[in-house]
Amino acid sequence: MEKKLGLFSVVSTGVGLIVATTCLMSLCQGAASIGGMFIVSIVLACALNMITAASLAELNALMPNLTGGLAQYTLAGLGPFVTLVSMVGGYIVCNALMAPSEGAMFGLAIKELTGVGIPASVISVALTAILIVINLFGVDMFAKIQNVVAFLLIGSLLLLGVIGAVGAGTGAEVSQSFALTDNVMDGVNMAAAAFWLFIGVEFIIPIAKYVDNPRRNIPLGMFLSLGIICVIQIVMVLGLYHYTGWSALAASDTPHILYGISLLGNVGKAWIGLVTVLAAISTQNSVINSITKICYGMAKMNMLPSLFQKTNRRGAPYIGILIYGTVILLIEATGLASASSLSFMILVASVFWMVSYIISHINLLVLRRRLPKAPRTFKLPFGPVIPLIGIAGMVYMVVNISTDPAQRAAILTIDAVIFVILAIYAALWSKFKLRMPLFQPLSLEKVMAMEHPAYFQLRQEAARKQREQREKERQVQSHSV
Amino acid sequence: MTISRVEIVTSMSKLEDLRIELSKVGVTGMTVLQALGCGVQKGAMEFATKENKIMELLPKQMIILYVPAEKVPKIEDVVKKCLYTGHIGDGKIFVSDVTDVIRVRTGEDGADALT
Repeated sequence: MEKKLGLFSVVSTGVGLIVATTCLMSLCQGAASIGGMFIVSIVLACALNMITAASLAELNALMPNLTGGLAQYTLAGLGPFVTLVSMVGGYIVCNALMAPSEGAMFGLAIKELTGVGIPASVISVALTAILIVINLFGVDMFAKIQNVVAFLLIGSLLLLGVIGAVGAGTGAEVSQSFALTDNVMDGVNMAAAAFWLFIGVEFIIPIAKYVDNPRRNIPLGMFLSLGIICVIQIVMVLGLYHYTGWSALAASDTPHILYGISLLGNVGKAWIGLVTVLAAISTQNSVINSITKICYGMAKMNMLPSLFQKTNRRGAPYIGILIYGTVILLIEATGLASASSLSFMILVASVFWMVSYIISHINLLVLRRRLPKAPRTFKLPFGPVIPLIGIAGMVYMVVNISTDPAQRAAILTIDAVIFVILAIYAALWSKFKLRMPLFQPLSLEKVMAMEHPAYFQLRQEAARKQREQREKERQVQSHSV
Repeated sequence: MTISRVEIVTSMSKLEDLRIELSKVGVTGMTVLQALGCGVQKGAMEFATKENKIMELLPKQMIILYVPAEKVPKIEDVVKKCLYTGHIGDGKIFVSDVTDVIRVRTGEDGADALT
Protein backbone atom coordinates (compact mmCIF):
# COMPACT_ATOMS: atom_id res chain seq x y z
CA MET A 1 0.00 0.00 0.00
CA GLU A 2 1.28 3.47 -0.88
CA LYS A 3 2.46 5.39 2.15
CA LYS A 4 0.34 8.44 2.83
CA LEU A 5 1.72 11.88 3.58
CA GLY A 6 1.71 13.01 7.20
CA LEU A 7 1.21 16.47 8.67
CA PHE A 8 4.94 17.26 8.38
CA SER A 9 4.88 16.59 4.62
CA VAL A 10 1.74 18.69 4.22
CA VAL A 11 3.36 21.61 6.04
CA SER A 12 6.66 21.32 4.14
CA THR A 13 4.82 21.12 0.81
CA GLY A 14 2.63 24.06 1.81
CA VAL A 15 5.53 26.24 2.91
CA GLY A 16 7.46 25.29 -0.23
CA LEU A 17 4.54 26.19 -2.47
CA ILE A 18 3.82 29.49 -0.81
CA VAL A 19 7.35 30.87 -0.60
CA ALA A 20 8.77 32.07 -3.91
CA THR A 21 11.77 34.23 -4.68
CA THR A 22 9.61 37.24 -5.40
CA CYS A 23 8.52 37.05 -1.77
CA LEU A 24 12.03 38.17 -0.79
CA MET A 25 11.65 41.19 -3.02
CA SER A 26 8.19 42.05 -1.65
CA LEU A 27 9.37 41.64 1.93
CA CYS A 28 12.42 43.86 1.47
CA GLN A 29 10.49 46.54 -0.41
CA GLY A 30 7.70 46.54 2.16
CA ALA A 31 10.20 46.85 5.00
CA ALA A 32 12.05 49.59 3.11
CA SER A 33 8.83 51.68 2.92
CA ILE A 34 7.72 51.66 6.55
CA GLY A 35 10.49 49.86 8.44
CA GLY A 36 9.53 47.55 11.30
CA MET A 37 5.87 48.62 11.04
CA PHE A 38 5.73 46.22 8.08
CA ILE A 39 5.37 43.48 10.71
CA VAL A 40 1.80 44.76 11.24
CA SER A 41 1.18 44.34 7.49
CA ILE A 42 2.67 40.83 7.59
CA VAL A 43 0.52 39.72 10.52
CA LEU A 44 -2.64 41.20 8.97
CA ALA A 45 -1.99 39.63 5.55
CA CYS A 46 -1.26 36.30 7.26
CA ALA A 47 -4.51 36.50 9.27
CA LEU A 48 -6.55 37.22 6.14
CA ASN A 49 -4.88 34.34 4.32
CA MET A 50 -5.63 32.07 7.28
CA ILE A 51 -9.30 33.01 6.97
CA THR A 52 -9.11 32.12 3.28
CA ALA A 53 -7.43 28.84 4.19
CA ALA A 54 -10.26 28.12 6.63
CA SER A 55 -12.90 28.80 3.97
CA LEU A 56 -11.03 26.57 1.52
CA ALA A 57 -10.80 23.86 4.16
CA GLU A 58 -14.58 23.92 4.60
CA LEU A 59 -15.09 23.81 0.83
CA ASN A 60 -12.64 20.91 0.70
CA ALA A 61 -14.68 19.12 3.39
CA LEU A 62 -17.80 19.60 1.28
CA MET A 63 -16.14 18.57 -1.98
CA PRO A 64 -13.22 16.37 -0.97
CA ASN A 65 -10.56 14.87 -3.21
CA LEU A 66 -10.87 17.32 -6.08
CA THR A 67 -7.82 18.13 -8.13
CA GLY A 68 -9.07 21.45 -9.51
CA GLY A 69 -9.87 23.04 -6.19
CA LEU A 70 -11.03 26.61 -6.69
CA ALA A 71 -12.36 26.02 -10.23
CA GLN A 72 -14.63 23.22 -9.11
CA TYR A 73 -15.85 25.05 -6.01
CA THR A 74 -16.73 28.05 -8.17
CA LEU A 75 -18.44 25.94 -10.82
CA ALA A 76 -20.66 24.49 -8.09
CA GLY A 77 -21.09 27.79 -6.28
CA LEU A 78 -21.44 30.48 -8.92
CA GLY A 79 -21.56 28.86 -12.36
CA PRO A 80 -19.33 28.85 -15.46
CA PHE A 81 -18.98 32.61 -16.04
CA VAL A 82 -17.36 33.38 -12.70
CA THR A 83 -15.31 30.17 -12.92
CA LEU A 84 -13.89 31.16 -16.27
CA VAL A 85 -13.12 34.72 -15.20
CA SER A 86 -11.57 33.71 -11.88
CA MET A 87 -9.70 30.68 -13.14
CA VAL A 88 -8.40 32.20 -16.35
CA GLY A 89 -7.80 35.46 -14.49
CA GLY A 90 -6.74 34.15 -11.13
CA TYR A 91 -4.39 31.53 -12.38
CA ILE A 92 -3.43 31.72 -15.99
CA VAL A 93 -3.12 35.50 -16.30
CA CYS A 94 -1.81 35.86 -12.78
CA ASN A 95 0.89 33.29 -13.36
CA ALA A 96 1.67 34.80 -16.75
CA LEU A 97 2.62 37.86 -14.72
CA MET A 98 4.36 35.94 -11.92
CA ALA A 99 6.57 33.75 -14.11
CA PRO A 100 8.37 36.70 -15.78
CA SER A 101 8.84 38.24 -12.32
CA GLU A 102 10.68 35.10 -11.26
CA GLY A 103 12.71 35.22 -14.48
CA ALA A 104 13.58 38.82 -13.76
CA MET A 105 14.70 37.93 -10.25
CA PHE A 106 16.95 35.29 -11.79
CA GLY A 107 18.42 37.78 -14.28
CA LEU A 108 19.08 40.37 -11.58
CA ALA A 109 20.63 37.82 -9.22
CA ILE A 110 22.97 36.42 -11.90
CA LYS A 111 24.01 39.94 -12.89
CA GLU A 112 24.64 40.87 -9.26
CA LEU A 113 26.57 37.66 -8.52
CA THR A 114 28.75 37.49 -11.63
CA GLY A 115 28.91 41.13 -12.61
CA VAL A 116 28.43 40.26 -16.32
CA GLY A 117 27.67 43.10 -18.69
CA ILE A 118 24.60 41.43 -20.23
CA PRO A 119 21.22 43.09 -19.48
CA ALA A 120 19.18 41.20 -16.85
CA SER A 121 16.26 40.87 -19.29
CA VAL A 122 18.46 38.92 -21.74
CA ILE A 123 19.48 36.53 -18.95
CA SER A 124 15.84 35.96 -17.96
CA VAL A 125 14.79 35.41 -21.59
CA ALA A 126 17.56 32.82 -21.96
CA LEU A 127 16.39 31.01 -18.82
CA THR A 128 12.77 30.92 -19.98
CA ALA A 129 13.77 29.68 -23.44
CA ILE A 130 15.76 26.82 -21.87
CA LEU A 131 12.87 25.93 -19.55
CA ILE A 132 10.42 25.93 -22.46
CA VAL A 133 12.62 23.47 -24.39
CA ILE A 134 13.04 21.25 -21.31
CA ASN A 135 9.29 21.23 -20.71
CA LEU A 136 8.65 20.43 -24.38
CA PHE A 137 10.70 17.30 -23.83
CA GLY A 138 8.19 16.37 -21.12
CA VAL A 139 10.78 16.61 -18.37
CA ASP A 140 9.98 18.29 -15.08
CA MET A 141 13.58 18.97 -14.15
CA PHE A 142 12.79 19.95 -10.59
CA ALA A 143 10.16 17.34 -9.77
CA LYS A 144 12.55 15.27 -7.69
CA ILE A 145 14.38 18.07 -5.96
CA GLN A 146 11.50 20.54 -5.56
CA ASN A 147 11.29 19.88 -1.84
CA VAL A 148 15.07 20.25 -1.46
CA VAL A 149 14.97 23.62 -3.19
CA ALA A 150 12.03 24.69 -1.04
CA PHE A 151 13.82 23.63 2.14
CA LEU A 152 16.97 25.40 1.01
CA LEU A 153 15.02 28.61 0.49
CA ILE A 154 13.04 28.44 3.71
CA GLY A 155 15.95 27.21 5.82
CA SER A 156 18.16 29.95 4.40
CA LEU A 157 15.54 32.62 5.03
CA LEU A 158 15.11 31.48 8.61
CA LEU A 159 18.85 31.20 9.27
CA LEU A 160 19.67 34.53 7.63
CA GLY A 161 16.78 36.11 9.53
CA VAL A 162 17.84 34.67 12.89
CA ILE A 163 21.51 35.61 12.37
CA GLY A 164 20.40 39.16 11.61
CA ALA A 165 17.78 39.34 14.36
CA VAL A 166 20.21 38.30 17.11
CA GLY A 167 22.99 40.47 15.73
CA ALA A 168 25.33 37.57 14.96
CA GLY A 169 26.32 38.74 11.47
CA THR A 170 29.91 39.56 10.48
CA GLY A 171 28.92 42.88 8.88
CA ALA A 172 28.50 46.19 10.68
CA GLU A 173 25.20 46.74 12.45
CA VAL A 174 23.19 49.73 11.33
CA SER A 175 21.79 52.18 13.81
CA GLN A 176 18.36 53.32 12.66
CA SER A 177 14.85 53.81 13.99
CA PHE A 178 12.88 50.55 14.08
CA ALA A 179 9.84 51.91 12.28
CA LEU A 180 9.68 54.68 9.70
CA THR A 181 6.19 55.61 10.87
CA ASP A 182 4.34 55.67 14.19
CA ASN A 183 0.97 55.29 12.56
CA VAL A 184 -0.31 51.71 12.77
CA MET A 185 -2.69 52.48 9.90
CA ASP A 186 0.35 52.75 7.61
CA GLY A 187 1.06 49.14 8.48
CA VAL A 188 -2.57 48.20 7.85
CA ASN A 189 -2.54 49.97 4.48
CA MET A 190 0.58 48.08 3.43
CA ALA A 191 -1.13 44.70 4.01
CA ALA A 192 -1.66 44.36 0.25
CA ALA A 193 2.11 44.46 -0.27
CA ALA A 194 2.53 41.73 2.35
CA PHE A 195 -0.28 39.65 0.80
CA TRP A 196 2.12 38.30 -1.85
CA LEU A 197 4.19 36.66 0.91
CA PHE A 198 1.36 34.26 1.70
CA ILE A 199 -0.42 33.44 -1.53
CA GLY A 200 -0.77 29.93 -2.84
CA VAL A 201 -2.14 28.15 0.23
CA GLU A 202 -4.83 26.63 -1.98
CA PHE A 203 -2.18 24.60 -3.81
CA ILE A 204 -2.22 22.25 -0.80
CA ILE A 205 -5.77 21.09 -1.62
CA PRO A 206 -4.91 18.89 -4.62
CA ILE A 207 -2.59 16.76 -2.48
CA ALA A 208 -5.48 15.96 -0.07
CA LYS A 209 -6.05 12.55 -1.64
CA TYR A 210 -2.48 11.50 -0.84
CA VAL A 211 -2.64 12.68 2.77
CA ASP A 212 -3.23 10.58 5.86
CA ASN A 213 -6.29 11.82 7.80
CA PRO A 214 -6.88 14.73 5.38
CA ARG A 215 -9.84 16.00 7.41
CA ARG A 216 -7.44 17.02 10.15
CA ASN A 217 -4.16 17.42 8.33
CA ILE A 218 -5.26 19.61 5.41
CA PRO A 219 -6.75 22.50 7.43
CA LEU A 220 -4.06 22.18 10.10
CA GLY A 221 -1.33 21.99 7.43
CA MET A 222 -2.61 25.17 5.78
CA PHE A 223 -2.71 27.11 9.07
CA LEU A 224 0.72 25.87 10.17
CA SER A 225 2.30 26.68 6.78
CA LEU A 226 1.00 30.24 6.93
CA GLY A 227 2.01 30.60 10.58
CA ILE A 228 5.55 29.36 9.94
CA ILE A 229 5.96 31.71 6.98
CA CYS A 230 4.65 34.59 9.09
CA VAL A 231 7.27 33.90 11.78
CA ILE A 232 10.07 33.61 9.19
CA GLN A 233 9.10 36.90 7.55
CA ILE A 234 8.93 38.71 10.92
CA VAL A 235 12.38 37.39 11.84
CA MET A 236 13.67 38.57 8.45
CA VAL A 237 12.32 42.10 9.11
CA LEU A 238 14.18 42.11 12.43
CA GLY A 239 17.34 41.01 10.59
CA LEU A 240 16.90 43.74 8.00
CA TYR A 241 16.47 46.31 10.81
CA HIS A 242 19.81 45.36 12.35
CA TYR A 243 21.96 45.14 9.23
CA THR A 244 20.51 47.08 6.29
CA GLY A 245 19.53 50.72 6.14
CA TRP A 246 15.91 51.16 5.14
CA SER A 247 16.86 53.73 2.48
CA ALA A 248 19.60 51.46 1.03
CA LEU A 249 17.05 48.65 0.82
CA ALA A 250 14.62 50.90 -1.04
CA ALA A 251 17.28 51.93 -3.54
CA SER A 252 18.44 48.38 -4.39
CA ASP A 253 17.17 46.31 -7.33
CA THR A 254 18.13 43.16 -5.42
CA PRO A 255 17.48 44.13 -1.79
CA HIS A 256 17.71 40.55 -0.51
CA ILE A 257 21.22 40.17 -1.93
CA LEU A 258 22.11 43.51 -0.35
CA TYR A 259 20.97 42.08 2.98
CA GLY A 260 23.15 38.98 2.42
CA ILE A 261 26.18 41.22 1.80
CA SER A 262 25.46 43.49 4.78
CA LEU A 263 25.01 40.47 7.04
CA LEU A 264 27.80 38.10 6.07
CA GLY A 265 29.82 39.87 3.36
CA ASN A 266 30.70 37.80 0.30
CA VAL A 267 29.60 34.58 1.96
CA GLY A 268 26.15 36.08 2.49
CA LYS A 269 26.07 37.35 -1.09
CA ALA A 270 26.92 33.93 -2.50
CA TRP A 271 24.51 32.17 -0.13
CA ILE A 272 21.44 34.26 -0.84
CA GLY A 273 22.39 34.60 -4.52
CA LEU A 274 22.54 30.85 -4.99
CA VAL A 275 19.26 30.36 -3.19
CA THR A 276 17.62 33.07 -5.33
CA VAL A 277 18.86 31.53 -8.56
CA LEU A 278 17.78 27.99 -7.65
CA ALA A 279 14.41 29.10 -6.34
CA ALA A 280 13.72 31.35 -9.34
CA ILE A 281 14.47 28.51 -11.77
CA SER A 282 12.38 26.10 -9.75
CA THR A 283 9.42 28.47 -9.45
CA GLN A 284 9.41 29.49 -13.09
CA ASN A 285 9.79 25.87 -14.14
CA SER A 286 6.91 24.74 -11.98
CA VAL A 287 4.73 27.60 -13.23
CA ILE A 288 5.36 26.64 -16.88
CA ASN A 289 4.84 22.99 -16.03
CA SER A 290 1.75 23.29 -13.86
CA ILE A 291 -0.12 26.07 -15.63
CA THR A 292 0.04 24.29 -18.97
CA LYS A 293 -1.33 21.23 -17.17
CA ILE A 294 -4.15 23.34 -15.68
CA CYS A 295 -4.86 24.66 -19.21
CA TYR A 296 -4.88 21.05 -20.43
CA GLY A 297 -7.37 20.12 -17.68
CA MET A 298 -9.56 23.14 -18.38
CA ALA A 299 -9.57 22.33 -22.11
CA LYS A 300 -10.70 18.82 -21.16
CA MET A 301 -13.56 20.39 -19.20
CA ASN A 302 -14.35 22.39 -22.36
CA MET A 303 -13.43 25.66 -20.66
CA LEU A 304 -10.50 26.54 -22.91
CA PRO A 305 -9.95 25.92 -26.65
CA SER A 306 -9.22 22.25 -27.39
CA LEU A 307 -5.78 23.07 -28.84
CA PHE A 308 -4.52 23.22 -25.23
CA GLN A 309 -5.18 19.46 -25.11
CA LYS A 310 -2.67 18.71 -27.85
CA THR A 311 0.31 16.77 -26.62
CA ASN A 312 3.52 15.82 -28.38
CA ARG A 313 5.10 12.37 -28.53
CA ARG A 314 6.54 12.86 -25.07
CA GLY A 315 3.17 13.69 -23.56
CA ALA A 316 3.92 17.40 -23.07
CA PRO A 317 1.02 19.79 -23.85
CA TYR A 318 3.22 21.54 -26.40
CA ILE A 319 0.76 24.10 -27.74
CA GLY A 320 0.09 25.30 -24.20
CA ILE A 321 3.80 25.39 -23.39
CA LEU A 322 4.58 27.34 -26.56
CA ILE A 323 1.75 29.86 -26.13
CA TYR A 324 2.41 30.34 -22.44
CA GLY A 325 6.19 30.41 -22.91
CA THR A 326 5.88 33.04 -25.65
CA VAL A 327 3.80 35.28 -23.40
CA ILE A 328 6.40 35.00 -20.62
CA LEU A 329 9.23 35.66 -23.07
CA LEU A 330 7.49 38.74 -24.47
CA ILE A 331 6.92 40.23 -21.02
CA GLU A 332 10.53 39.54 -20.07
CA ALA A 333 11.89 40.93 -23.33
CA THR A 334 10.14 44.24 -22.68
CA GLY A 335 12.73 44.76 -19.95
CA LEU A 336 10.66 44.56 -16.81
CA ALA A 337 13.74 43.51 -14.88
CA SER A 338 13.78 46.39 -12.47
CA ALA A 339 12.65 46.41 -8.89
CA SER A 340 9.91 49.00 -9.35
CA SER A 341 8.24 47.32 -12.33
CA LEU A 342 8.57 43.95 -10.60
CA SER A 343 6.69 45.15 -7.54
CA PHE A 344 4.13 46.76 -9.86
CA MET A 345 3.60 43.43 -11.64
CA ILE A 346 3.33 41.63 -8.32
CA LEU A 347 0.62 44.04 -7.16
CA VAL A 348 -1.28 43.67 -10.49
CA ALA A 349 -1.18 39.89 -10.06
CA SER A 350 -2.13 40.15 -6.37
CA VAL A 351 -5.46 41.75 -7.27
CA PHE A 352 -6.39 38.70 -9.37
CA TRP A 353 -5.47 36.44 -6.50
CA MET A 354 -7.46 38.54 -4.01
CA VAL A 355 -10.50 38.39 -6.28
CA SER A 356 -10.14 34.58 -6.44
CA TYR A 357 -10.09 34.47 -2.66
CA ILE A 358 -13.16 36.73 -2.42
CA ILE A 359 -14.93 34.34 -4.79
CA SER A 360 -13.92 31.40 -2.57
CA HIS A 361 -15.55 33.05 0.44
CA ILE A 362 -18.69 33.72 -1.63
CA ASN A 363 -18.69 30.08 -2.80
CA LEU A 364 -18.64 29.01 0.83
CA LEU A 365 -21.62 31.20 1.73
CA VAL A 366 -23.60 30.13 -1.36
CA LEU A 367 -22.99 26.42 -0.78
CA ARG A 368 -23.85 26.74 2.91
CA ARG A 369 -27.18 28.24 1.93
CA ARG A 370 -27.82 25.64 -0.76
CA LEU A 371 -26.68 22.59 1.18
CA PRO A 372 -27.14 23.49 4.84
CA LYS A 373 -27.42 19.88 5.99
CA ALA A 374 -24.56 18.33 4.00
CA PRO A 375 -22.10 16.78 6.46
CA ARG A 376 -18.95 18.85 6.77
CA THR A 377 -16.01 17.44 8.64
CA PHE A 378 -14.65 20.96 8.97
CA LYS A 379 -16.95 23.93 9.45
CA LEU A 380 -16.02 27.49 10.26
CA PRO A 381 -17.70 28.64 13.47
CA PHE A 382 -19.80 31.83 13.97
CA GLY A 383 -21.92 31.43 10.82
CA PRO A 384 -21.10 33.83 8.00
CA VAL A 385 -19.03 36.18 10.20
CA ILE A 386 -15.53 34.84 9.38
CA PRO A 387 -15.99 34.57 5.58
CA LEU A 388 -17.51 38.08 5.61
CA ILE A 389 -14.46 39.39 7.50
CA GLY A 390 -12.32 37.63 4.88
CA ILE A 391 -14.23 39.31 2.04
CA ALA A 392 -14.04 42.73 3.74
CA GLY A 393 -10.29 42.30 4.29
CA MET A 394 -9.64 41.33 0.67
CA VAL A 395 -11.77 44.21 -0.64
CA TYR A 396 -9.85 46.59 1.65
CA MET A 397 -6.56 45.30 0.25
CA VAL A 398 -7.77 45.62 -3.35
CA VAL A 399 -8.87 49.21 -2.70
CA ASN A 400 -5.54 49.95 -0.95
CA ILE A 401 -3.40 47.89 -3.32
CA SER A 402 -0.76 50.63 -3.31
CA THR A 403 -0.12 53.57 -1.02
CA ASP A 404 0.79 55.67 -4.06
CA PRO A 405 -2.51 56.95 -5.61
CA ALA A 406 -1.10 57.12 -9.15
CA GLN A 407 0.27 53.57 -8.95
CA ARG A 408 -3.00 52.35 -7.40
CA ALA A 409 -4.99 53.88 -10.27
CA ALA A 410 -2.66 52.28 -12.83
CA ILE A 411 -2.87 48.84 -11.18
CA LEU A 412 -6.65 48.90 -10.89
CA THR A 413 -7.01 50.16 -14.49
CA ILE A 414 -4.85 47.34 -15.86
CA ASP A 415 -6.75 44.80 -13.77
CA ALA A 416 -10.11 46.23 -14.87
CA VAL A 417 -9.12 46.05 -18.55
CA ILE A 418 -7.96 42.43 -18.18
CA PHE A 419 -11.15 41.56 -16.28
CA VAL A 420 -13.32 43.10 -19.02
CA ILE A 421 -11.47 41.08 -21.69
CA LEU A 422 -11.85 37.94 -19.56
CA ALA A 423 -15.55 38.67 -18.97
CA ILE A 424 -16.18 38.97 -22.72
CA TYR A 425 -14.32 35.70 -23.29
CA ALA A 426 -16.20 33.98 -20.46
CA ALA A 427 -19.61 35.23 -21.66
CA LEU A 428 -19.01 34.15 -25.27
CA TRP A 429 -17.46 30.83 -24.27
CA SER A 430 -20.28 29.97 -21.82
CA LYS A 431 -22.97 30.89 -24.33
CA PHE A 432 -21.62 29.35 -27.53
CA LYS A 433 -19.21 26.64 -26.47
CA LEU A 434 -20.39 25.40 -23.09
CA ARG A 435 -24.01 26.26 -23.98
CA MET A 436 -24.79 26.88 -20.36
CA PRO A 437 -26.52 29.80 -18.64
CA LEU A 438 -23.78 32.14 -17.43
CA PHE A 439 -24.65 32.19 -13.77
CA GLN A 440 -26.31 28.83 -13.29
CA PRO A 441 -24.23 26.77 -10.89
CA LEU A 442 -23.73 23.08 -11.53
CA SER A 443 -24.94 20.57 -9.00
CA LEU A 444 -22.30 19.33 -6.61
CA GLU A 445 -22.52 15.75 -7.83
CA LYS A 446 -22.11 16.84 -11.46
CA VAL A 447 -18.96 18.78 -10.63
CA MET A 448 -17.72 15.78 -8.64
CA ALA A 449 -18.57 13.46 -11.55
CA MET A 450 -16.41 15.60 -13.85
CA GLU A 451 -13.38 14.30 -11.95
CA HIS A 452 -13.97 10.86 -13.43
CA PRO A 453 -12.01 10.32 -16.65
CA ALA A 454 -15.02 8.53 -18.18
CA TYR A 455 -17.18 11.66 -17.85
CA PHE A 456 -15.71 13.46 -20.84
CA GLN A 457 -14.91 10.31 -22.80
CA LEU A 458 -18.58 9.32 -22.70
CA ARG A 459 -19.74 12.78 -23.69
CA GLN A 460 -17.25 13.05 -26.53
CA GLU A 461 -18.37 9.63 -27.71
CA ALA A 462 -22.04 10.69 -27.53
CA ALA A 463 -21.31 13.92 -29.41
CA ARG A 464 -19.43 11.98 -32.11
CA LYS A 465 -22.32 9.56 -32.53
CA GLN A 466 -24.75 12.47 -32.75
CA ARG A 467 -22.64 14.10 -35.44
CA GLU A 468 -22.46 10.83 -37.40
CA GLN A 469 -26.21 10.40 -37.08
CA ARG A 470 -26.85 13.93 -38.35
CA GLU A 471 -24.42 13.34 -41.23
CA LYS A 472 -26.26 10.15 -42.21
CA GLU A 473 -29.61 11.91 -42.07
CA ARG A 474 -28.26 14.69 -44.31
CA GLN A 475 -26.97 12.15 -46.82
CA VAL A 476 -30.31 10.31 -46.87
CA GLN A 477 -32.13 13.61 -47.43
CA SER A 478 -29.83 14.66 -50.27
CA HIS A 479 -30.28 11.23 -51.97
CA SER A 480 -34.04 11.43 -51.72
CA VAL A 481 -34.05 14.94 -53.26
CA MET B 1 -35.03 2.89 27.47
CA THR B 2 -36.09 2.73 23.82
CA ILE B 3 -34.00 0.97 21.25
CA SER B 4 -33.50 1.97 17.61
CA ARG B 5 -32.48 0.04 14.57
CA VAL B 6 -30.08 1.90 12.28
CA GLU B 7 -29.64 0.52 8.78
CA ILE B 8 -26.89 1.94 6.62
CA VAL B 9 -26.80 1.12 2.94
CA THR B 10 -23.55 2.16 1.29
CA SER B 11 -20.94 1.11 -1.24
CA MET B 12 -18.56 -1.76 -0.59
CA SER B 13 -15.49 0.33 0.17
CA LYS B 14 -16.57 2.15 3.31
CA LEU B 15 -16.88 -0.65 5.87
CA GLU B 16 -13.41 -0.41 7.39
CA ASP B 17 -13.57 3.27 8.32
CA LEU B 18 -17.12 2.91 9.53
CA ARG B 19 -16.21 -0.03 11.78
CA ILE B 20 -13.45 2.01 13.41
CA GLU B 21 -15.53 5.18 13.82
CA LEU B 22 -18.57 3.36 15.24
CA SER B 23 -16.36 1.55 17.75
CA LYS B 24 -15.13 4.95 18.96
CA VAL B 25 -18.69 6.11 19.81
CA GLY B 26 -19.52 3.02 21.82
CA VAL B 27 -21.48 0.90 19.36
CA THR B 28 -21.26 -2.60 20.81
CA GLY B 29 -22.22 -4.67 17.82
CA MET B 30 -23.00 -4.61 14.13
CA THR B 31 -24.31 -6.90 11.44
CA VAL B 32 -23.07 -6.53 7.87
CA LEU B 33 -24.84 -7.98 4.86
CA GLN B 34 -23.57 -7.98 1.32
CA ALA B 35 -26.35 -6.71 -0.87
CA LEU B 36 -27.38 -5.68 -4.35
CA GLY B 37 -29.32 -2.49 -4.80
CA CYS B 38 -29.82 0.91 -6.34
CA GLY B 39 -31.24 4.29 -5.42
CA VAL B 40 -32.93 7.09 -7.34
CA GLN B 41 -30.33 6.95 -10.13
CA LYS B 42 -31.48 3.39 -10.89
CA GLY B 43 -27.88 2.21 -10.74
CA ALA B 44 -26.54 4.66 -13.34
CA MET B 45 -22.97 5.80 -12.70
CA GLU B 46 -22.64 9.51 -11.90
CA PHE B 47 -20.54 10.10 -15.03
CA ALA B 48 -23.12 8.39 -17.29
CA THR B 49 -24.80 10.53 -19.94
CA LYS B 50 -28.27 9.07 -19.43
CA GLU B 51 -30.26 7.66 -16.54
CA ASN B 52 -31.05 3.94 -16.72
CA LYS B 53 -34.59 3.11 -17.80
CA ILE B 54 -34.55 -0.17 -15.94
CA MET B 55 -33.03 -0.44 -12.50
CA GLU B 56 -29.53 -1.87 -12.46
CA LEU B 57 -28.45 -3.41 -9.19
CA LEU B 58 -25.00 -2.57 -7.90
CA PRO B 59 -23.03 -4.30 -5.16
CA LYS B 60 -23.70 -2.61 -1.82
CA GLN B 61 -23.50 -3.44 1.80
CA MET B 62 -26.09 -3.07 4.50
CA ILE B 63 -24.86 -2.41 8.00
CA ILE B 64 -27.40 -2.97 10.74
CA LEU B 65 -27.01 -1.57 14.24
CA TYR B 66 -29.27 -1.85 17.27
CA VAL B 67 -28.53 0.98 19.66
CA PRO B 68 -30.14 2.93 22.50
CA ALA B 69 -32.31 5.65 20.94
CA GLU B 70 -30.42 8.47 22.67
CA LYS B 71 -27.24 7.47 20.87
CA VAL B 72 -28.84 7.72 17.43
CA PRO B 73 -28.09 11.44 16.73
CA LYS B 74 -24.40 10.94 17.54
CA ILE B 75 -24.23 7.79 15.44
CA GLU B 76 -25.99 9.52 12.53
CA ASP B 77 -23.43 12.34 12.68
CA VAL B 78 -20.47 9.95 12.74
CA VAL B 79 -21.85 7.84 9.89
CA LYS B 80 -22.67 10.89 7.75
CA LYS B 81 -19.20 12.34 8.17
CA CYS B 82 -17.55 8.98 7.62
CA LEU B 83 -19.45 8.07 4.47
CA TYR B 84 -19.54 11.52 2.89
CA THR B 85 -17.60 12.04 -0.32
CA GLY B 86 -20.11 14.22 -2.17
CA HIS B 87 -20.42 11.59 -4.88
CA ILE B 88 -23.58 9.75 -5.85
CA GLY B 89 -23.69 6.45 -4.00
CA ASP B 90 -22.52 7.68 -0.61
CA GLY B 91 -25.49 5.82 0.84
CA LYS B 92 -28.55 6.21 3.03
CA ILE B 93 -29.30 5.81 6.71
CA PHE B 94 -32.64 4.42 7.86
CA VAL B 95 -33.70 4.67 11.50
CA SER B 96 -36.65 2.80 12.99
CA ASP B 97 -37.95 1.82 16.43
CA VAL B 98 -37.44 -1.62 17.90
CA THR B 99 -39.96 -2.95 20.42
CA ASP B 100 -37.63 -5.36 22.17
CA VAL B 101 -34.26 -7.11 22.09
CA ILE B 102 -33.61 -10.39 23.91
CA ARG B 103 -30.20 -11.93 24.56
CA VAL B 104 -30.89 -15.63 24.25
CA ARG B 105 -27.96 -16.80 26.38
CA THR B 106 -28.97 -14.88 29.51
CA GLY B 107 -32.57 -13.99 28.81
CA GLU B 108 -31.83 -10.29 29.32
CA ASP B 109 -34.07 -7.98 27.35
CA GLY B 110 -34.37 -4.33 26.33
CA ALA B 111 -31.28 -2.13 26.66
CA ASP B 112 -29.65 -4.69 28.98
CA ALA B 113 -29.36 -7.05 26.04
CA LEU B 114 -27.23 -4.52 24.19
CA THR B 115 -24.56 -4.03 26.84
